[in-house]
Amino acid sequence: MLWLHLHFPHLLLDHIRRSGENVAALAIVEGSGQQVIQACPAARDLGVKAGMRLKTAISLAPDLGIVRADQAQETRILEDQALWVYRYAAHIVLVPPNGLLAEIGSLQRLYGGLPAAWRTIEEVLHERQLNAWLGIGHTPLAAGLIARNGMGECTSDTAQILRTLGRIPLQAAEFDTRTSTRLKRLGLSTLGEVFGLPPAEMARRLSPETLATIQKIQGSRADPQPPWQPPHHFRQQADFVQDIERSQGLLFPLHRMLSELEKDLCWRQQDTDCLLLVLQHRNGEPTHLRIRTSGPEHRAEAFLSLITLRFEQQALKAPVASLRLTVKRFLGREMHGGQDLLGESQDLNEAWHTLISRLQARLGENALKQLAPTDDHRPERAWSTSDVRRSNRATIAATGQLPCRPLWLLQGPQPLTETPKAWFTGPERISGGWWDGQRVHRDYYIAQLNSGQLAWVFRDMREGWFIHGWFG
Amino acid sequence: MSELINTLMQDARVWQGHRHNKTTQPAEPTGYQALDNQLGGLGWPRGALSECLLDAPGIGELTLLVPLMQRLSQDGKTVFWLNPPHTPYAPALAREGINLDQVIMIHTEDKGDFLWTLENCLRSPVTGLVMAWPGKLAAREIRRLQLAAEAGSNVCVLFRERHYAEQNSPAALRLELEPEHQQSLKVNVVKRRGSWPGQRCSLAIAHRASLSHHETPRVVQGPWPTAAR
Repeated sequence: MLWLHLHFPHLLLDHIRRSGENVAALAIVEGSGQQVIQACPAARDLGVKAGMRLKTAISLAPDLGIVRADQAQETRILEDQALWVYRYAAHIVLVPPNGLLAEIGSLQRLYGGLPAAWRTIEEVLHERQLNAWLGIGHTPLAAGLIARNGMGECTSDTAQILRTLGRIPLQAAEFDTRTSTRLKRLGLSTLGEVFGLPPAEMARRLSPETLATIQKIQGSRADPQPPWQPPHHFRQQADFVQDIERSQGLLFPLHRMLSELEKDLCWRQQDTDCLLLVLQHRNGEPTHLRIRTSGPEHRAEAFLSLITLRFEQQALKAPVASLRLTVKRFLGREMHGGQDLLGESQDLNEAWHTLISRLQARLGENALKQLAPTDDHRPERAWSTSDVRRSNRATIAATGQLPCRPLWLLQGPQPLTETPKAWFTGPERISGGWWDGQRVHRDYYIAQLNSGQLAWVFRDMREGWFIHGWFG
Repeated sequence: MSELINTLMQDARVWQGHRHNKTTQPAEPTGYQALDNQLGGLGWPRGALSECLLDAPGIGELTLLVPLMQRLSQDGKTVFWLNPPHTPYAPALAREGINLDQVIMIHTEDKGDFLWTLENCLRSPVTGLVMAWPGKLAAREIRRLQLAAEAGSNVCVLFRERHYAEQNSPAALRLELEPEHQQSLKVNVVKRRGSWPGQRCSLAIAHRASLSHHETPRVVQGPWPTAAR
């Protein structure tokens, strides 16, 4: 087994810099807000250093962007990284707060050797604008130590790895303070000298736990690592240093998140039809936006144009502090290319879904309706509307079977105010609805009004005359 | 230069009074031979606006479009009804053999949405026919729609009030509809591309109410003005 450890020295900083368009000087401060723990290059140029007091930092760089470290957020960001590493390696272990471990020994054949695998990871890191220190070790702890000390080398030779480990000074070997002091008092200064001690003596003089750690680093004691499982949903979050007041400003991070989603969907070979956007505000309730497409979709531009439309319709109610995109519903992808059984090409099907999604995004979902006849004798109940759905079933035209009906039906019957100039067919008695309280008892006639309009008129039980439709 | 002029002549965009050019613009037959003849054997222009100008519904304005709706919906093209004044009655449409799966009814709140929706429908390749009831439109807005219609190749019919016949309009085809005796529809061509307007024809469409004009009215017993029930 060979392990690759990715150590992200300032993950939170990288994450925030990725979400913003204009990168100013940035610093991460610890939870209590007293000390700077990470500073971006721009801030470092101004003299801000890690470990500096926040007040000093602000006096050096007055418009320093300040982000408070948050453990939950760090864990979440680390998991985001695991998500993309999972595309390159199968066995992944999270090493909080800022490390990822991937089993790389079994991937050598896939990538054509260790150097190629190393290069692949480095390229992806660069593409994602992430800073990471890589380290390879024959045990998880060895890989971690090498990576955190920045001594990573692309080698699979155990002797070479042990030599590198041996050069690590004791202060950097991550022992607890007590053990570290005792080892120093023994006159040892590097990890290599500790490796040279006889195991039985080490257990007696120091502690059995120290021996176990040393043996785990060396590889003479098993150190099983449970693999991380990727979640069954997609989630991305962008956090902003300065609140975003206009929806235009959200499009840049959204574009990045949506291309991430597109990659994720391509990788899953799935589509989705529902995105959930949550806009967090500094004060007040977060805004939830549900973006629906009328059919399965995976392209980032399609989602982005729908979201843009939505933003045009709906202004931001408060400045946005962070943006979260979640997709929980995945649909199997349809076969691409060629024509389906009914001779309908994929392109038209897609164009249909695009058009309907666009219309629904702007007009609201209830603005579009499809019509269908219903089995009822009462004219106002003989039709129904339904949500728009793409269906390819061929309806059998039952021409002539149905009774003669007008093409226009009025929203409600309107009183007939004049005497028609000509009467045609009639009466057609429609009586029903006694079973559900919506009683209808009418005699229908076709009549022509003086204006030349052909109307469908009826007389009800109370002798009133009404127009119910036009033969348009 | 001459090439440009030739193109303009062929598309019948430059109107020539002395010659009746056969236009080459794409069109959909109306399904009524008499009307097709009046429209130069073509029918409804595709990729352009058409206007139907009428006073009141119920004179056969939809029946005029039924053959087209029938054909397009069965070919899998979508037929949009945008802001219809009344409900298109599904049983009657089904009776005419229109595939209701392809019929979509849209209601918009304001004019901005209306124009936006119409433009989007016109530009889409899935659309076969858009029927729209726009109400009042400025000439600039009709021009915008005409440009959108040119971007696609769909038939777009606007139903407007008859008094707009006096105003000019960029639409490619303008028909004035009037009821005539025996429930037929009189069509008066107000404007069309490539020829003189002014053609008239009368379409016998009494079949829309299952009437035929040879028959005497089939009222079983006249309306009973004083009957008490």
